[in-house]
Amino acid sequence: MRLLTQSEGGWRYQLSRGEAQALRSLVKLFPIPANVAVKITKTDPDPQAAEREKLLNKSLAEHREELRRNAQPLISDDRLKIRGDRYVLSLGLDDRETLLQILNDIRVESWRALGQPENLDPLTNPPESERVHHNRMSLAGYFEHMLLNLEETRKAATER
Amino acid sequence: MPPTLEPHTIPRPTIENETRSDEDLAPTYYVVCWNDPVNLMDYVTHVFMKIFGWQRQKAEQHMLEVHEKGKSVLIREGAEKAEFYVYQLQGYKLQATMEPAE
Repeated sequence: MRLLTQSEGGWRYQLSRGEAQALRSLVKLFPIPANVAVKITKTDPDPQAAEREKLLNKSLAEHREELRRNAQPLISDDRLKIRGDRYVLSLGLDDRETLLQILNDIRVESWRALGQPENLDPLTNPPESERVHHNRMSLAGYFEHMLLNLEETRKAATER
Repeated sequence: MPPTLEPHTIPRPTIENETRSDEDLAPTYYVVCWNDPVNLMDYVTHVFMKIFGWQRQKAEQHMLEVHEKGKSVLIREGAEKAEFYVYQLQGYKLQATMEPAE
Protein backbone atom coordinates (compact mmCIF):
# COMPACT_ATOMS: atom_id res chain seq x y z
CA MET A 1 0.00 0.00 0.00
CA ARG A 2 1.31 3.44 -0.80
CA LEU A 3 0.06 6.99 -0.93
CA LEU A 4 -0.41 8.24 -4.47
CA THR A 5 -1.75 11.73 -3.94
CA GLN A 6 -2.88 13.90 -1.09
CA SER A 7 -4.90 17.10 -1.41
CA GLU A 8 -7.30 19.20 0.61
CA GLY A 9 -10.08 16.95 -0.63
CA GLY A 10 -8.55 13.69 0.53
CA TRP A 11 -6.18 10.87 -0.31
CA ARG A 12 -5.58 8.31 -3.03
CA TYR A 13 -3.81 5.10 -2.09
CA GLN A 14 -2.48 2.34 -4.26
CA LEU A 15 -3.16 -1.20 -3.07
CA SER A 16 -2.05 -4.54 -4.39
CA ARG A 17 -4.73 -6.99 -5.39
CA GLY A 18 -4.22 -8.94 -2.16
CA GLU A 19 -4.48 -5.80 -0.04
CA ALA A 20 -7.65 -4.71 -1.80
CA GLN A 21 -9.23 -8.11 -1.28
CA ALA A 22 -8.18 -8.17 2.37
CA LEU A 23 -9.55 -4.67 2.98
CA ARG A 24 -12.87 -5.56 1.36
CA SER A 25 -13.21 -8.78 3.37
CA LEU A 26 -12.36 -6.97 6.57
CA VAL A 27 -14.77 -4.07 6.14
CA LYS A 28 -17.54 -6.50 5.18
CA LEU A 29 -17.19 -8.05 8.64
CA PHE A 30 -18.25 -4.82 10.29
CA PRO A 31 -19.89 -4.67 12.72
CA ILE A 32 -18.52 -7.57 14.71
CA PRO A 33 -21.02 -8.16 17.53
CA ALA A 34 -20.03 -6.14 20.59
CA ASN A 35 -21.00 -7.80 23.82
CA VAL A 36 -19.15 -5.57 26.25
CA ALA A 37 -21.07 -2.64 27.71
CA VAL A 38 -18.92 0.43 28.10
CA LYS A 39 -18.30 1.85 31.58
CA ILE A 40 -18.55 5.61 31.94
CA THR A 41 -16.68 5.82 35.25
CA LYS A 42 -14.46 3.77 37.54
CA THR A 43 -14.89 5.77 40.72
CA ASP A 44 -18.05 7.88 40.64
CA PRO A 45 -20.62 6.56 43.14
CA ASP A 46 -23.24 9.09 41.97
CA PRO A 47 -26.45 7.25 40.99
CA GLN A 48 -26.67 9.60 37.98
CA ALA A 49 -23.59 7.88 36.58
CA ALA A 50 -25.65 4.75 35.89
CA GLU A 51 -28.10 6.78 33.86
CA ARG A 52 -25.25 8.45 32.00
CA GLU A 53 -23.75 5.05 31.27
CA LYS A 54 -27.01 3.82 29.80
CA LEU A 55 -27.23 6.85 27.53
CA LEU A 56 -23.58 6.49 26.54
CA ASN A 57 -24.09 2.88 25.47
CA LYS A 58 -27.21 3.84 23.52
CA SER A 59 -25.34 6.66 21.74
CA LEU A 60 -22.42 4.37 20.94
CA ALA A 61 -24.79 1.78 19.45
CA GLU A 62 -26.25 4.51 17.24
CA HIS A 63 -22.76 5.60 16.26
CA ARG A 64 -21.87 2.05 15.22
CA GLU A 65 -25.05 1.87 13.18
CA GLU A 66 -24.04 5.04 11.37
CA LEU A 67 -20.60 3.56 10.73
CA ARG A 68 -22.26 0.41 9.40
CA ARG A 69 -24.27 2.46 6.91
CA ASN A 70 -21.08 4.18 5.74
CA ALA A 71 -18.93 1.06 5.63
CA GLN A 72 -19.96 -0.54 2.35
CA PRO A 73 -19.66 2.62 0.19
CA LEU A 74 -16.02 2.91 1.29
CA ILE A 75 -15.11 -0.33 -0.44
CA SER A 76 -17.47 0.00 -3.40
CA ASP A 77 -16.13 -0.16 -6.95
CA ASP A 78 -16.34 3.65 -7.11
CA ARG A 79 -13.90 4.13 -4.25
CA LEU A 80 -11.74 1.08 -4.69
CA LYS A 81 -11.10 1.00 -8.42
CA ILE A 82 -9.08 -1.53 -10.27
CA ARG A 83 -6.19 -0.07 -12.34
CA GLY A 84 -4.37 -2.80 -14.22
CA ASP A 85 -3.12 -5.26 -11.64
CA ARG A 86 -3.43 -2.71 -8.82
CA TYR A 87 -6.25 -0.95 -7.02
CA VAL A 88 -6.71 2.73 -6.18
CA LEU A 89 -8.58 3.66 -3.04
CA SER A 90 -9.95 7.23 -2.98
CA LEU A 91 -10.91 8.62 0.39
CA GLY A 92 -12.32 12.02 1.31
CA LEU A 93 -11.48 13.65 4.66
CA ASP A 94 -14.46 12.14 6.45
CA ASP A 95 -14.08 8.82 4.65
CA ARG A 96 -10.64 8.19 6.06
CA GLU A 97 -11.86 8.97 9.57
CA THR A 98 -14.78 6.58 9.12
CA LEU A 99 -12.52 3.85 7.74
CA LEU A 100 -10.09 4.27 10.64
CA GLN A 101 -12.93 3.93 13.15
CA ILE A 102 -14.31 0.85 11.39
CA LEU A 103 -10.89 -0.82 11.26
CA ASN A 104 -10.17 -0.05 14.88
CA ASP A 105 -13.60 -1.26 15.93
CA ILE A 106 -12.88 -4.58 14.22
CA ARG A 107 -9.47 -4.72 15.88
CA VAL A 108 -10.80 -3.99 19.38
CA GLU A 109 -13.82 -6.30 19.11
CA SER A 110 -11.60 -9.13 17.84
CA TRP A 111 -9.36 -8.56 20.86
CA ARG A 112 -12.40 -8.67 23.14
CA ALA A 113 -13.53 -11.88 21.46
CA LEU A 114 -10.15 -13.34 22.46
CA GLY A 115 -10.83 -12.42 26.08
CA GLN A 116 -8.87 -9.14 26.08
CA PRO A 117 -5.41 -10.70 26.46
CA GLU A 118 -2.53 -8.52 27.67
CA ASN A 119 -0.14 -10.27 25.33
CA LEU A 120 -1.20 -9.86 21.71
CA ASP A 121 1.31 -12.27 20.21
CA PRO A 122 -0.62 -15.33 19.09
CA LEU A 123 0.51 -18.71 20.28
CA THR A 124 2.52 -20.73 17.77
CA ASN A 125 -0.51 -22.76 16.87
CA PRO A 126 -3.61 -21.05 18.17
CA PRO A 127 -6.86 -22.94 17.84
CA GLU A 128 -8.83 -22.12 14.70
CA SER A 129 -11.46 -20.28 16.74
CA GLU A 130 -8.76 -17.88 17.98
CA ARG A 131 -6.71 -17.69 14.81
CA VAL A 132 -9.48 -15.90 12.98
CA HIS A 133 -9.56 -13.12 15.60
CA HIS A 134 -5.78 -12.78 15.61
CA ASN A 135 -5.81 -12.47 11.83
CA ARG A 136 -8.50 -9.82 11.89
CA MET A 137 -6.63 -7.85 14.53
CA SER A 138 -3.38 -7.96 12.57
CA LEU A 139 -4.99 -6.99 9.30
CA ALA A 140 -6.97 -4.12 10.80
CA GLY A 141 -3.82 -2.90 12.56
CA TYR A 142 -1.87 -3.07 9.29
CA PHE A 143 -4.37 -0.89 7.43
CA GLU A 144 -4.70 1.56 10.34
CA HIS A 145 -0.94 1.91 10.49
CA MET A 146 -0.73 2.50 6.74
CA LEU A 147 -3.53 5.06 6.67
CA LEU A 148 -1.94 7.00 9.50
CA ASN A 149 1.70 6.75 8.55
CA LEU A 150 1.99 6.89 4.78
CA GLU A 151 1.28 10.61 4.96
CA GLU A 152 4.06 11.14 7.52
CA THR A 153 6.50 9.00 5.56
CA ARG A 154 5.79 11.02 2.46
CA LYS A 155 6.19 14.33 4.35
CA ALA A 156 9.51 13.19 5.75
CA ALA A 157 10.70 12.11 2.29
CA THR A 158 9.73 15.48 0.81
CA GLU A 159 11.53 17.39 3.56
CA ARG A 160 14.78 15.46 3.04
CA MET B 1 -1.79 79.52 54.42
CA PRO B 2 -4.25 77.13 53.12
CA PRO B 3 -7.27 76.56 55.27
CA THR B 4 -7.19 73.58 57.55
CA LEU B 5 -9.37 70.85 56.28
CA GLU B 6 -11.77 69.16 58.58
CA PRO B 7 -10.81 65.51 58.99
CA HIS B 8 -13.38 63.12 57.75
CA THR B 9 -13.66 59.37 57.91
CA ILE B 10 -13.91 57.30 54.83
CA PRO B 11 -16.78 54.87 55.26
CA ARG B 12 -15.76 51.27 55.44
CA PRO B 13 -16.61 49.42 52.29
CA THR B 14 -19.27 46.80 52.71
CA ILE B 15 -18.10 43.43 51.56
CA GLU B 16 -20.89 41.34 50.25
CA ASN B 17 -20.76 37.62 50.56
CA GLU B 18 -18.87 36.15 47.64
CA THR B 19 -21.27 34.66 45.15
CA ARG B 20 -20.56 31.94 42.67
CA SER B 21 -22.57 31.09 39.61
CA ASP B 22 -24.30 27.75 39.27
CA GLU B 23 -21.65 26.83 36.75
CA ASP B 24 -18.90 27.44 39.33
CA LEU B 25 -20.69 25.26 41.84
CA ALA B 26 -21.42 22.42 39.44
CA PRO B 27 -19.20 19.37 39.86
CA THR B 28 -16.37 18.94 37.41
CA TYR B 29 -14.91 15.74 36.01
CA TYR B 30 -11.59 14.53 34.74
CA VAL B 31 -11.76 12.82 31.38
CA VAL B 32 -9.32 9.94 31.73
CA CYS B 33 -7.93 7.68 29.02
CA TRP B 34 -6.78 4.23 30.20
CA ASN B 35 -4.12 2.01 28.74
CA ASP B 36 -4.91 -1.15 26.82
CA PRO B 37 -2.71 -3.39 24.70
CA VAL B 38 -4.84 -3.16 21.56
CA ASN B 39 -5.08 0.47 20.44
CA LEU B 40 -2.06 1.44 18.35
CA MET B 41 0.05 4.32 19.62
CA ASP B 42 -0.27 6.22 16.33
CA TYR B 43 -4.00 5.75 16.42
CA VAL B 44 -4.32 7.08 19.98
CA THR B 45 -2.25 10.15 19.06
CA HIS B 46 -4.42 10.70 16.02
CA VAL B 47 -7.63 10.48 18.07
CA PHE B 48 -6.39 13.00 20.65
CA MET B 49 -5.44 15.43 17.89
CA LYS B 50 -8.79 14.97 16.21
CA ILE B 51 -11.01 15.28 19.27
CA PHE B 52 -9.19 17.96 21.25
CA GLY B 53 -7.56 19.79 18.35
CA TRP B 54 -4.14 19.36 19.97
CA GLN B 55 -0.82 19.67 18.22
CA ARG B 56 0.95 16.37 17.62
CA GLN B 57 3.49 17.01 20.40
CA LYS B 58 0.82 17.43 23.09
CA ALA B 59 -1.18 14.49 21.79
CA GLU B 60 1.93 12.30 21.84
CA GLN B 61 2.75 13.35 25.41
CA HIS B 62 -0.66 12.21 26.59
CA MET B 63 -0.46 9.03 24.51
CA LEU B 64 2.90 8.19 26.10
CA GLU B 65 1.52 8.93 29.55
CA VAL B 66 -1.31 6.47 28.89
CA HIS B 67 1.18 3.91 27.63
CA GLU B 68 3.75 4.29 30.42
CA LYS B 69 1.63 5.19 33.45
CA GLY B 70 -1.55 3.34 32.62
CA LYS B 71 -3.71 6.43 32.26
CA SER B 72 -3.71 10.10 31.40
CA VAL B 73 -6.02 12.88 32.52
CA LEU B 74 -6.91 14.57 29.27
CA ILE B 75 -9.11 17.44 30.34
CA ARG B 76 -11.26 18.74 33.21
CA GLU B 77 -14.80 19.73 32.32
CA GLY B 78 -18.38 20.02 33.58
CA ALA B 79 -20.56 16.92 33.39
CA GLU B 80 -22.06 17.58 29.98
CA LYS B 81 -18.80 18.29 28.16
CA ALA B 82 -16.98 15.49 29.94
CA GLU B 83 -19.74 13.09 28.87
CA PHE B 84 -19.41 14.28 25.29
CA TYR B 85 -15.65 13.74 25.26
CA VAL B 86 -16.05 10.25 26.73
CA TYR B 87 -18.60 9.47 24.04
CA GLN B 88 -16.25 10.68 21.32
CA LEU B 89 -13.24 8.77 22.69
CA GLN B 90 -15.30 5.61 23.14
CA GLY B 91 -16.63 6.08 19.61
CA TYR B 92 -13.02 5.63 18.51
CA LYS B 93 -12.80 2.61 20.83
CA LEU B 94 -10.41 4.17 23.33
CA GLN B 95 -11.01 3.26 26.95
CA ALA B 96 -12.11 6.56 28.43
CA THR B 97 -14.07 7.44 31.54
CA MET B 98 -15.10 10.54 33.49
CA GLU B 99 -14.08 10.70 37.14
CA PRO B 100 -15.21 13.27 39.73
CA ALA B 101 -12.58 15.98 40.07
CA GLU B 102 -13.16 16.54 43.80
